[in-house]
Amino acid sequence: MKTKNINLFITVILLLTVIASCKKAELTTFTKIKIPTSSPIQPGNISGFVKGTLLTGQTYTVTADITVKKGDTLSAQPGAIIIVKNNAQFTIQGVLNLLGSQTQPVLFNSDVNKPGTWGGFQCDSAQAVNIKWTHVDNTGGPDASGSARRTIVVNKVGVPVDIEDSWFTNGQDDLMGLFGAKITVLRNTISSSGSTDGEGINLKSGTTGIVAYNVIFSQAGSGIKLETNKNVPFPQTEVDVYNNTVVAVGWRRGSAEPGRGTSVGVNAIGHIYNNIYVNCYHGLEVFNDADVVHTTYGNNLFYATVDSFTDLVDPTIQINIRDNFYPAGASGVPQPTDLISKKVGDLDPLFVKFDGTVAAPNGYPNTNDFHLKPGSPAFGAGNSDFDKKIKGLGNQDLGAYTTDGKGNQH
Amino acid sequence: MISKNYLFVLFILLASYASAQNASIKGKVTDGKSREPLPGAYVRLDGSKKGSSTDAFGNFEINKLNPGEYKIKVKYVGFGEFEQKITVADGQVFVLNIALSESKENLKTVNVYGKLNESNESSSRQSEKNANNVTNILSARAMERSPDLNAATAITRVSAVTLQRNSGSDEAYAIIRGLEPRYNNTLINGVKVTSPDPVSRFISLNVVPSDLLDRIEVSKTLTPEMEGDAIGGTVNLVFKDAPDHEYFKIDGSIGYSAIFFNRKYDNFNQGAVLRQSPTDRFGPNYAAPAGYFTRPNLDFTKKNAPPTTLASFTYGRRFFNDKLGFIVSDSYQNQYYGTNSEFNIAIFDPKNNNKPVISDVANRTYSTQQLNNGLSAHLDYKIDDKNKIALDNVFLYTYTAQARLSIDTSIIGGNGGRVGPGTGTVYNDNRSFLQNQYVENLKLSGKHAIGNHLQFDWAGIYSNATLNSPDRADLTLNHLINPDFSSTPNYFDAISRIWAKSGNKDLSATGNLSYTTKLGENSALQIKAGGLYRHSTRFNKQNEYQLKPAPEANGVKSPFTDIYQANWIVYNVTGSLRSDAANYTAYEDISAGYGEFKLTLDKLDVIGGVRVEGTKQGYDTHPVVLVVRSSAQKTYTDVLPSLQLKYKLTDLSNLRASYFKSISRPALFEIVPTPVYGQSTDITGNPDVQHSEADNYDLRYELYPKNEEQFFVGAFYKNIKNPIEFALQGLDQGGQASTTPQNFGTAKVAGAEIVYSRYFGNFGVSGNYTYTYSNIKSPKVVNTPDAQGNIISELKLQNRPLQGQTGDVVNLSLLYKNDKHKTFIQLAYTYTSKTLPFVYNGYGYDYYTQPQSFLALSGEKQISRHVTLTGKVNNILNTPTTVKIDNLVQSKDLYNVSFNVGFRYSL
Repeated sequence: MKTKNINLFITVILLLTVIASCKKAELTTFTKIKIPTSSPIQPGNISGFVKGTLLTGQTYTVTADITVKKGDTLSAQPGAIIIVKNNAQFTIQGVLNLLGSQTQPVLFNSDVNKPGTWGGFQCDSAQAVNIKWTHVDNTGGPDASGSARRTIVVNKVGVPVDIEDSWFTNGQDDLMGLFGAKITVLRNTISSSGSTDGEGINLKSGTTGIVAYNVIFSQAGSGIKLETNKNVPFPQTEVDVYNNTVVAVGWRRGSAEPGRGTSVGVNAIGHIYNNIYVNCYHGLEVFNDADVVHTTYGNNLFYATVDSFTDLVDPTIQINIRDNFYPAGASGVPQPTDLISKKVGDLDPLFVKFDGTVAAPNGYPNTNDFHLKPGSPAFGAGNSDFDKKIKGLGNQDLGAYTTDGKGNQH
Repeated sequence: MISKNYLFVLFILLASYASAQNASIKGKVTDGKSREPLPGAYVRLDGSKKGSSTDAFGNFEINKLNPGEYKIKVKYVGFGEFEQKITVADGQVFVLNIALSESKENLKTVNVYGKLNESNESSSRQSEKNANNVTNILSARAMERSPDLNAATAITRVSAVTLQRNSGSDEAYAIIRGLEPRYNNTLINGVKVTSPDPVSRFISLNVVPSDLLDRIEVSKTLTPEMEGDAIGGTVNLVFKDAPDHEYFKIDGSIGYSAIFFNRKYDNFNQGAVLRQSPTDRFGPNYAAPAGYFTRPNLDFTKKNAPPTTLASFTYGRRFFNDKLGFIVSDSYQNQYYGTNSEFNIAIFDPKNNNKPVISDVANRTYSTQQLNNGLSAHLDYKIDDKNKIALDNVFLYTYTAQARLSIDTSIIGGNGGRVGPGTGTVYNDNRSFLQNQYVENLKLSGKHAIGNHLQFDWAGIYSNATLNSPDRADLTLNHLINPDFSSTPNYFDAISRIWAKSGNKDLSATGNLSYTTKLGENSALQIKAGGLYRHSTRFNKQNEYQLKPAPEANGVKSPFTDIYQANWIVYNVTGSLRSDAANYTAYEDISAGYGEFKLTLDKLDVIGGVRVEGTKQGYDTHPVVLVVRSSAQKTYTDVLPSLQLKYKLTDLSNLRASYFKSISRPALFEIVPTPVYGQSTDITGNPDVQHSEADNYDLRYELYPKNEEQFFVGAFYKNIKNPIEFALQGLDQGGQASTTPQNFGTAKVAGAEIVYSRYFGNFGVSGNYTYTYSNIKSPKVVNTPDAQGNIISELKLQNRPLQGQTGDVVNLSLLYKNDKHKTFIQLAYTYTSKTLPFVYNGYGYDYYTQPQSFLALSGEKQISRHVTLTGKVNNILNTPTTVKIDNLVQSKDLYNVSFNVGFRYSL
């Protein structure tokens, strides 16, 4: 009886040991995705996973979505022409190097040449983005889930983004959404973008760098918008915004969400100098929730070509544009160094050619020339050393076109 | 339609009760010792089909008898059998009062029909006393006496059980011992029921009418034979079984929610909701024109809320010498209720260290019609004394139509440019939502005694739940309130239309073999082994269309006058079906086996053993764009030992101690990394989230002084590795919040509970109190400036309670029952202390649901032998559900009082 019990006991112990060894820790295996190898680009039709160089003088037709894998580079030589069909987009996980030249820009457009007909550059997790002397037209078609696509998006902290001397026309949402990136955005022209929403240059989530000498014309929402992520207030977005010419922006979104020439909100820091704002729904707005303490601004020129503008929706409302140069209630207030127009003709920046546009549809042709005529009050009114950390940042003149030749080359 | 059929059935049944005999027998059945009346005892006339069961006061009456001699027999669980011969004369009313004496139960032999009439309180107590584990049981009788329309409200009166409710809906999931629903299991007749709900593993308790229930068993410790995925405990909803005697009950009532005294019910045209999406009708390449999308379902009108109507019937009987029995029950509820809700999101205030500040404000009113129909059928066939086969089918249907009107403002951020209180861009978000939910659960089971020692039971279960919500239409408008408080016109911002469908299907098979033997005079041994295999699959399908306002000629967004004038373009004409990230398939395979023994040694019971559960979970989002996390599989095997000791201190008291290990798995949608739309909160899954493992220790002293009386005191400790918790992320433009499941570390949970119930003459008091303490250290963000004044964000561990854990839970009910006037009145009070609903990511702060007190009153009066009038008033204190963070109100929901009056007819 006793031995039987002991045997039973041993059996139980052995059994328990066997059972205990059954335990298996949790293992999560992601199904290996078979990513095709990237093929070198050949002239003609391209799609899928590609790398390599779009050559001078060649025309390429993108027939479906393009992906540039991490570690791969997609380059373009001056004069390459790329026609995008089927609402396709470029997904960039590696490096994008579009290097046109002043005489031979790179051209991107859709086959139908209508606003919102291809997907643009979705560079959410790109390693680097360099765009120079490139035309990017008619982006912003819906993605597969039905959402509008920004023309160029980067969404990763610290990604270097360098966009210079390029033209962007007729996008449907934000034209540039640069979130967390280190940016150099110089001397570009952004025209008639955003259907009924979307900013020209949307900078959020800890973006740092420079936005200067750009022209932004007839954007649906704000021209340049600075914010830090509401839920992740640090690192802060901190950008120098200077010598931009921002004209006729902020109307298409409707008066419930007026667009601004430039806005600084949600814990962001802006240094806003030497810009020209003409016919913007709201001029410069430093929101109460911005990092008001560290934000600096001045030497900006505000002008309206009309005394008041009839609200497009409710004709009984007359909008006095001059009242909204610095919108009421916000933290931003006129600075002594600002040039603020008091009536039509007062402090007119004297654009070489301007059709007087206030509000215009998405895709409206930009036939203006925002160079300044001699005698413009913008000459010599600039601050050529406004950033306490970076020496000599700024210009003696206001706006994108300056006499020192550092400005916009378009 | 269905209710008309009930009436017909009722009519037929009533009509068959006309006859001519005129003698009768009546009397009362009581407990011989305590003199308590025994409800539900069946008084039978031997050799005749006649009989009657006692009512709630122990009274019975058998009418229309021919004069002559009868042998009266009464059988009642836990009591000895009563037998007496009587003679009744023509026209006589024979009065017979029967006092039963208690008997000791013999638990040592195999017994297929160890059937207790557990729907009575006193037999519930018997079950608790004899159960292998720490159990609390709520009987149908207790449910009937109380102001409970459904299982959800009934269950709160079980010790240490509270409910989690979502704003704007009546959804309710059990929290056991302060542990939120994810740690608990909900079973129907002992088996898991798949959930049609995209955001939960289990069915909401509010769709189970309490009428269908025989009892609710809450097990707080697990034996190896029970499924191992319950850390807090298991709720088993036991549906009515075929009765020993003919049973018929019908009730009906109407009610009203007081919230509609103060506001109207928001109505929309439910007929305008298109059941099929454009691609459903015309194929995947169909480009939907603007005219495809209907308008009346976005035309919200105010009307008076219709009253809530409730009706149910239950009928059951046995045939062929009681071999074949069935019971059918159907419960119909057409409820109209509303919620007024305030919902705000808190974020770090970067200007004020980490202190939370409200960033977005939303006010919502919900108007909901919810129609539930629960049909349950049970069929059992006793082949002989050793073999029994049963077929159970539970079918639940829920139809929900809900209007949600929401007004949102961003205080921080957004395009509004809010420059002061009462200014900024205001979004009106109006949503109409319609949903059909079907749960079908079919179980075939058998019990077989082989010889005198072996028993085999088995079950095969098919469970299928589907949810179909066509054309969820969401209209967003906005306007700006200027600093001078003038307002711009309303602009038409966007419309989204979503067709969503999901389904869960389970196939399970289980088998158990037990061997029982005597080991002498007072000792016995039972050895049990068994296994389970379950294959579950889930799918989710979503097709979304974005309708954008057509710009005016000058390119500007158009103003909004009414929905019939709105002019839109379909932005994605072919819908999102082909590549919507929310379209996925997922599966879960569970194979489990266990070995268990139960040793009864005079006064000591030892139950122990090991269960092994292997899990395989996976999903596939069928991506169009290849993403690394688009498809994954998780595997794990858990070894779950369990040991339970029960020592019978006296005949009326037990001491229990137990250890068991258990787990909690993430629901399938929780591992799929795509957003799932909920009513007020969206959830994005996380494939890296790990399942939770817990070591559980329990100690309990139980005293059963008398029939229907009890006193328990207990303590527990749990160590939970990798609890799954949610952090609130943000609020979108439509006022919808989003969360994601995460593991934050290891939680320690400890608590104590005390249960007491007693009757003093006509008065009874029943109460329980649970105290639970929990702690988990989780990483939180701290932002501190460095020497240069740059802010450095770091993670720091912070102590906090486990998500969903409630510190103090008090349930107290006062009962008055007057046998003479045949009246019951019950006042039920529930208190819960503050609970953490979501984790906040900033150091030093968390969201807390504020303490709540609920009061409910119910009463009934029997006005004739068969008819009882009933009345219930719920939420008398109009208790808000308020969530605060650092004294800022994050959300506040008000449901208001609801009233109900009705009748019950029972045979």
